[in-house]
Amino acid sequence: MKQLHFDYYMQITYAGCVSECHYTLKCIPADNIRQRLLGFSMEILPKNKWMEGVDSFGNAMVYGSIEKEQRDFSFHIQGDVEIDIREYETVKDDGEIFVYQYPYGLSTPGEELERFYQSLLGELNAKPDDYEKGVFLMHILYGNFIYEKEVTDVNTTAEEAWKLGKGVCQDYAHILIALCRRAGIPARYVSGMLIGEGYSHAWVEIYCDNHWFALDPTNNLIVEDSHIKIGVGRDAFDCQINRGIVMGGGSQTQNIRVCVEEKTEEIKT
Amino acid sequence: MYDLDLLEHTDTVNELLARYGVKFGIYKNNEFKEQLFPFDAIPRKIEKKEFDYLEKGLKQRVAALNLFLKDIYSKKEIVKDGIVPKDFIFASSGYMAECEGVTPIKGIYSHISGIDLVQGRDKQWYVLEDNLRVPSGASYPMIARELCRRSSPATFETNKLEDNRNYPKLLRQAMDYVNVGGHTVILTPGRYNAAYFEHSYLSEKTGAHLVTGAELKVEDDKLYYVSYDGKLERVGALYRRISDEYLDPMNFNPQSVIGIPHIFDVFRKGNVALINAPGNGIGDDKGIYYFVPKMIRYYLNEEPVLNNAPTYLPFYEEDMKYVLEHFDNLVLKDVAEAGGYGVVFGNSMTKEEKEKFITLLKKEPRRFIAQEVIDFMDIDILEGNETLPRKADLRAFVLMAEEPVVWKSGLTRFSRNPDSFIVNSSQGGGFKDTWVLSQ
Amino acid sequence: MGVISVDNADRLYWLGRYTERVYTTLRLYSKSFDIMIDEITDTYQAFCEMIDIPDIYGSKDKFRRNYPFDEANPDSIISNLLRAYDNAVELREEIGSEALSYVQLAIYSMNKAKISKAPLIEMQRAMDNILAFWGIADDSIDSREVRNMIKTGKRIERLDLYARLNMDRKDLVREVNRLAYRITVSGLSYKKENIKMLKELVEAPQIDYYKIVEMAETVL
Repeated sequence: MKQLHFDYYMQITYAGCVSECHYTLKCIPADNIRQRLLGFSMEILPKNKWMEGVDSFGNAMVYGSIEKEQRDFSFHIQGDVEIDIREYETVKDDGEIFVYQYPYGLSTPGEELERFYQSLLGELNAKPDDYEKGVFLMHILYGNFIYEKEVTDVNTTAEEAWKLGKGVCQDYAHILIALCRRAGIPARYVSGMLIGEGYSHAWVEIYCDNHWFALDPTNNLIVEDSHIKIGVGRDAFDCQINRGIVMGGGSQTQNIRVCVEEKTEEIKT
Repeated sequence: MYDLDLLEHTDTVNELLARYGVKFGIYKNNEFKEQLFPFDAIPRKIEKKEFDYLEKGLKQRVAALNLFLKDIYSKKEIVKDGIVPKDFIFASSGYMAECEGVTPIKGIYSHISGIDLVQGRDKQWYVLEDNLRVPSGASYPMIARELCRRSSPATFETNKLEDNRNYPKLLRQAMDYVNVGGHTVILTPGRYNAAYFEHSYLSEKTGAHLVTGAELKVEDDKLYYVSYDGKLERVGALYRRISDEYLDPMNFNPQSVIGIPHIFDVFRKGNVALINAPGNGIGDDKGIYYFVPKMIRYYLNEEPVLNNAPTYLPFYEEDMKYVLEHFDNLVLKDVAEAGGYGVVFGNSMTKEEKEKFITLLKKEPRRFIAQEVIDFMDIDILEGNETLPRKADLRAFVLMAEEPVVWKSGLTRFSRNPDSFIVNSSQGGGFKDTWVLSQ
Repeated sequence: MGVISVDNADRLYWLGRYTERVYTTLRLYSKSFDIMIDEITDTYQAFCEMIDIPDIYGSKDKFRRNYPFDEANPDSIISNLLRAYDNAVELREEIGSEALSYVQLAIYSMNKAKISKAPLIEMQRAMDNILAFWGIADDSIDSREVRNMIKTGKRIERLDLYARLNMDRKDLVREVNRLAYRITVSGLSYKKENIKMLKELVEAPQIDYYKIVEMAETVL
């Protein structure tokens, strides 16, 4: 058992004035058998009355509309989670995994990725089970893809990133998802945070033997207790941490600050 | 040949149709134009007994399709029981994962269903396509009937038929049945939509306000209409004439400017009825069409009353074999396309085209269905003083309130081109009134 | 549902304005057409000046053909009629198919006039259609709000046109009174001081026509 404290701050500044903005935030960490959400506080600016809900992938949502003139938008969430690495998420009903078995959206492969997949078939088939296959695909991807910022963007597909040969965590995740699904392993995209200071992070969960196992292809490791999971989806779009549309405003600059640290026992006096 | 007073008044009817602006919009060379929808005065007549049969079959079909949609977005028993392979659902663009676990008001998915049928030369009816998203066209025979009655009262004195001008009443009942409290409104993408006439006409006739996305807003998980003095009026049911994709830029296509941000979130909480429900695309998917008779047996434990056109799924090895052997006798349809597009006839391809197509078919078997070409029964149309035989289909409308009700009429569309089997109005062609005889 | 959206309120108002513009300009055009039959030198320029549109025509014949019928000319009668239609077609459920059909019929009449050797008779029909539209608007639109919005547009446009045309004082006084009544019952928010000013302007010994136009245009 490990307790982590998280602090996530995001601010968007507009070049001009925005007259109307609509937002949906999927920024509240997941609360399940493996990761318990102990508590959190949140602030959204400009102040407005927000609504809450849960989407079809089980992600908590906070959403609303701001119909007054504004120059920036920000949200700040902080809280604590407890992670128990002995537990794994499972499903109540097999039907829940069907949506994670087919090419979809940004995780759709193309010809190049298919060719790569074909070249792996020999080794892949030698693996004893889906879990081993998933881990193998992660290692192979890690060895064949370069981490580089600002060469891809939020709309880059698995195929496009693969052709480029480089990208960020979102691209690693999309490619691994495409490969796993191609191999018949249900796989889903995970948005979240990583211990330390930095940005948001993304990784993959694969479903084998009735459990969801998390793999972090960007770091080539099996996720244990340094990752805080926020949302899941078929691709990044399904669990985008912040989505918004604005009227006017011109160009935008986005500033994200994420900090996750292990909680040390507070000494009670 | 036709002892019908109405035919002598064809010009009067057409003049009246023009007067009331019975048009549909099209884009030609990037310019928006309104075109009159050509009306042919020779009606399609359906005997009472025959329509009773159709009615029974249509109710059954729509009931099963509704159960199917409910099942797919919740328990998925039809998949788990192996009746429909999951590839046909979850890899289809018609399936919307966003609708998982969201049950529409009173469990109704398809409030307005448009079922396309054709009649073979053997008089047998076949269902060609189900339309469960935003089927259009009911307004045309409805206004045509009104104007035909004005032009030739004698015709309607001697022919006893079901009055089809009750469509707005049936539609209103279907909308009111699911209204959760508040106004009922019709959402249009705007006047440059092909079916704008219909949107505005149905609005006038049902008394439901016609609105655009910009006139609606979400607050406190409820949907409101904004009046000119700034007052918010709660909306309890929205008959939307825009597709799922454009309905809500926060949940679907973020580029949409005709939708309403967060409306899907309101729907998810059960605070507004969307007519038809989002996600219906999986029910009228061309690949799913093959399984409709199976779902009738599965959900209702009944034998299907209406037949599908004989259909093959190349996805199944056995069917692929048949399709390759009988390629020239079949029509092939791309399941992702609609509106008469993506339809090719095996015998109309050149050798190279055929080879190319077969390669694609083998690569993506799930993408296509193949059907026997039905020997249509032709219907006469008037051309000057002559009558000419043309291909025609029938779109029947089923409205779902407490029980499914079949509208006793329908849109009969014909192709102008004598060789064409494609009767879609977006590809030319005209329409007829559909008479259901009352005795 | 008895509540009108901002967009529709705007459309109703402009429907009133454009139908009025078409009606009054058609009437004036027919009158001028009669005068032009006898004239030796062109006087159509005076007509343009009178209704405050640029003279882009060059000759009497061109003016006769172009001014009523040229859709590419934004000042033509048909252009204004099409604008009336653009508003009306989005108001079917407010004004009803019957009322809408007369705007449609006016377009058909103008189209016939365009190709006719005796266009005035067809243009008379277009005027009849506009009058029928107003008749229906008065008679069968149940909502008082809807009727008032159309009529407010119509009244403002007429006062505006009459002032531009330097019409007689008694005509202007009548139009100001009609507008003042309509706008108070319309429920629309308007500038009371403009109405007061308009009443003074039409009573002034020297009528300031431009000021009347300005006050009419800014009353809402």
